[in-house]
Amino acid sequence: MANYKIRKIKDRFMCILVWLALLMALIPLFSILGEVVLKGASSINVNFLTQPTPTVGEAGGGVANAMQGTVLAVGLASLIGVPIGLMSGIFLSEYSETKLSPAVRFFNDVLNGFPSIVIGIFGYTIIVLSIGFSVMAAAFALAIIMIPIVTRTTEEALKLVPATVREAAIALGVPRWKTIVSVVLSGAKKGIATGILLSLARIAGESAPVLVTMGYWRWWFAGLDKPVANLALNIYIFAISPFENWQTLAWGSALVLVTLILGISVIVRIFTQEKY
Amino acid sequence: MSRLIDTGLEQLTSMVFRMGELAHKTVSLSLNGYIEGTNAYEEVQSLSEMLITIADEAENKAFELIARFQPVASDLRILKSYMKITYDFARYGRYALDVSQIARLGGLKQCEDWIRQSIREMSEKVLGMVRTSVNSLKSHDTNLARALSETEKQVDSMYFEYLNRLVEKAPATNRCTISSVLVVRYLERIADHATYIGESIIYLATGEKVTLR
Amino acid sequence: MFSPYKFEIESLNAWFGSKHVLKNINMKIKEKAVTAVIGPSGCGKTTFIRCLNRMHEIVPGAKVSGRVLFNGIDIYNEDVDPVQIRRKMGMVFQKPNPFPMMSIYDNVAAGLKLNGIKDKEKLDSVVERSLKLAILWDEVKDDLNKSGASLSGGQQQRLCIARALAVEPEVMLMDEPCSALDPIATAKIETLIRMLAEDYTVVIVTHNMQQAARVSDFTAFLYLGELIEFGPTKEIFENPKSELTEKYITGEFG
Repeated sequence: MANYKIRKIKDRFMCILVWLALLMALIPLFSILGEVVLKGASSINVNFLTQPTPTVGEAGGGVANAMQGTVLAVGLASLIGVPIGLMSGIFLSEYSETKLSPAVRFFNDVLNGFPSIVIGIFGYTIIVLSIGFSVMAAAFALAIIMIPIVTRTTEEALKLVPATVREAAIALGVPRWKTIVSVVLSGAKKGIATGILLSLARIAGESAPVLVTMGYWRWWFAGLDKPVANLALNIYIFAISPFENWQTLAWGSALVLVTLILGISVIVRIFTQEKY
Repeated sequence: MSRLIDTGLEQLTSMVFRMGELAHKTVSLSLNGYIEGTNAYEEVQSLSEMLITIADEAENKAFELIARFQPVASDLRILKSYMKITYDFARYGRYALDVSQIARLGGLKQCEDWIRQSIREMSEKVLGMVRTSVNSLKSHDTNLARALSETEKQVDSMYFEYLNRLVEKAPATNRCTISSVLVVRYLERIADHATYIGESIIYLATGEKVTLR
Repeated sequence: MFSPYKFEIESLNAWFGSKHVLKNINMKIKEKAVTAVIGPSGCGKTTFIRCLNRMHEIVPGAKVSGRVLFNGIDIYNEDVDPVQIRRKMGMVFQKPNPFPMMSIYDNVAAGLKLNGIKDKEKLDSVVERSLKLAILWDEVKDDLNKSGASLSGGQQQRLCIARALAVEPEVMLMDEPCSALDPIATAKIETLIRMLAEDYTVVIVTHNMQQAARVSDFTAFLYLGELIEFGPTKEIFENPKSELTEKYITGEFG
C-alpha cells in the first residue's frame, strides 16, 4: 500500500515537472509573438503596406516593395528548390536500395547543417561575380538552403506511407514510377506540404545570405539580374539603425513577415486537409 | 506432443476395446450354453444390453470428437472405423442373444453326436474369429485381419455342408434340427461381422478399402 | 495450346539473399479451381505465391530460378513484362490494405484509373460489378464516397478483393486473406472464394487447415521450402500419401 502512495506522489511530481517544461517552452514563443504584435501593430496602415522603403530622413514609407521582393525571392527559390528537394526525397525513400543512396543522404545531411552565410558566399561567387547583386543570386542561395530541408521531410513523409500500400499498387500491375506518383505521393502529401512550408518559412526569414547576394535595396523590382528589397534584410538594416521611425518600420516589417508565413501555413493546411 | 483430441480418442478407444472383450465373452457364454444345454439366457441378455449401451456411448463420443476437433486423415479414419466396429460388436451381442433364446428350446444335450460335433466345430471356429477380430483391433494388425477372410470361407463351407447333411440325413423334425439350423445361421452371420471388423481395421490402418468376403 | 492447367511450375527455386527459401517446386495448378497451399510458418508458401505474379523479385536481394508457365508461356522469360503479368493476376494480402486516402469508389477504380481509363460510365459499371462480385455492393452502395478506411476489417478485405477483380484478372492470388478477420467475416470470404472459383483460378495460402479443407479443390503441402504432397483436397485430408503430411494435418507438429 505504501508503495502505491509513493508511486502516486512520484507520478504527480513528474507531471508537474512536465507541465513546467511545457510552459518554459511556450513562454519565449508567446512573448516574441506578443512583442511583435504589440510593437508592430501601430505601424500597420494602408500607407505602410503600399509605400516603398523610405530613405534617410524621409517620413512615412512602407514595406510594399520589401514584400514584393521577399515573395519574389522565396518564389524563385522554391521553383528551383522544391522540385530538386522532392525528387531527392523520393529517391532516398523509394530507391534506397541503390548504391548511390547512402552517399546522397550523407551529403544532404551535411548541406543541412551548413551555415547560411557560407551558402550566401557561395552564391556570391557563382552568380554575383558574373551577373552582379541580384534577385537571381539570392534565389540561388536560398534554394540551396531549402533543398536539404525539403529532401529530408519528403523522405520522412514518404517513409510513413506503409509498404502495404505500395505492394497493393504493384500487385495491381501499376508500373513502379506510377505507383510512387499516384499512390505514395498522395498518401504523403500532408507531410510533404508541411516540409515545404517549413523550408519556405526558413528562407523567408534568412537575412545573411540575402545580404551577400543581393545587398540592401529600396526600390521596386527591376529585373531578375538586379536586386530588390527584402523583408528580412530590411528588418536587420532598420533595427540596427539609429532612426526611430526606421526602428518602428522594423517592427512593422517583422509583423508583416510573421503574418505572411502564418498565411502560407493556413493556406497549405486548407489545401492538404484530408477529406475524411 | 499430445493434442487436444488425444484424450477423447483414448477414451473412445478403451470403450471400444472393452466392448470387444465383452462381445467375445457374450458369444462364448451363449454358444457354450447352447452346446452344453445350460441356461445362460439371463446373463447373455444383460451382457447384450450392456453392449448396446456402450455402442451408443461410443457413437456419441465419436460425434463429439468430430464436432469439436474437426479430425482429418488417420484420426478421421479411426473414428469412422470405430463407429462401424461398435455396430459389429453389438451385432455379436445380438446374435449371441438369439442363440441363447433358441437354447431355451432345449440345447444340444439330447441330440445326435454328429450334430453336436458339427456345431461344436463351427462354434470353435467362429469364436476364434471373434477373438481374432478383437485382438487385431487392439494391435492394428492388418495381417491378422486379412486372415479372417480365409476363415470366413471355411465357416461358409461348413455352414453349407451342415445344411446339406441335414437334408441328406433328413431326421424327423425335432428340437435339434430346428434349433441347429437357426444356430448355424447365426454363426455364419457372426463370422460375416468378424470380416467386416477386419475390413474396418485395414481401412483404419492403411486407408485402403477392401472386401474380405 | 489447350491445357487444363493455368500454371505449370517447373523446378521453381527462390532465394532471399543466400537463404534458399523454395527448393525445386514442380506443380500444375488447374484452372477455375481453388488450390490451397498449406504448411507450417516459414515453409515458403507466401514466397511461392509471390513467385506466381513476380512479386517476389521486387524485394532487394530476392532471386528466382525455374519456369512458371502461365497460359503456356514462361512468365520469367526475358521478354515478358512483369507489369503485364501482374495485371492478369489479382492479389489479396494478409492485412486488408485499401488505399488510405481514397474513397471506396476510387479504391475499386484505382487499377483502371492508373491504367488510363477515364470514361466515367465505364468506371461506374466496373465499380458496381466488382463490388457485387465481392459481395460488398449492398453494404456500401449508398455511400461510395466514404473513405475506404472507414469500413470494418471484413469489409475492407472484400474491398481489396473488389479492387483486384476490377482489372479483370484471370487468377486470384490470396495470401492468408482471412488471418486478420473474425469468424463471420471469414465465412463470408470463404463463400466468396468458392463463388469466384467458377470463373477464376484461385490460389490461396492459409495456415488454417480447416479452411484449406473447406474451401479448396486441391491442396499443396509445403515444408521447409519443399513440396511434400499435392493432390485433391479430399484425398489429402482423408488419406494422405506422405507421413509428414499426415503428421502435419493431424496436428502432431507445426
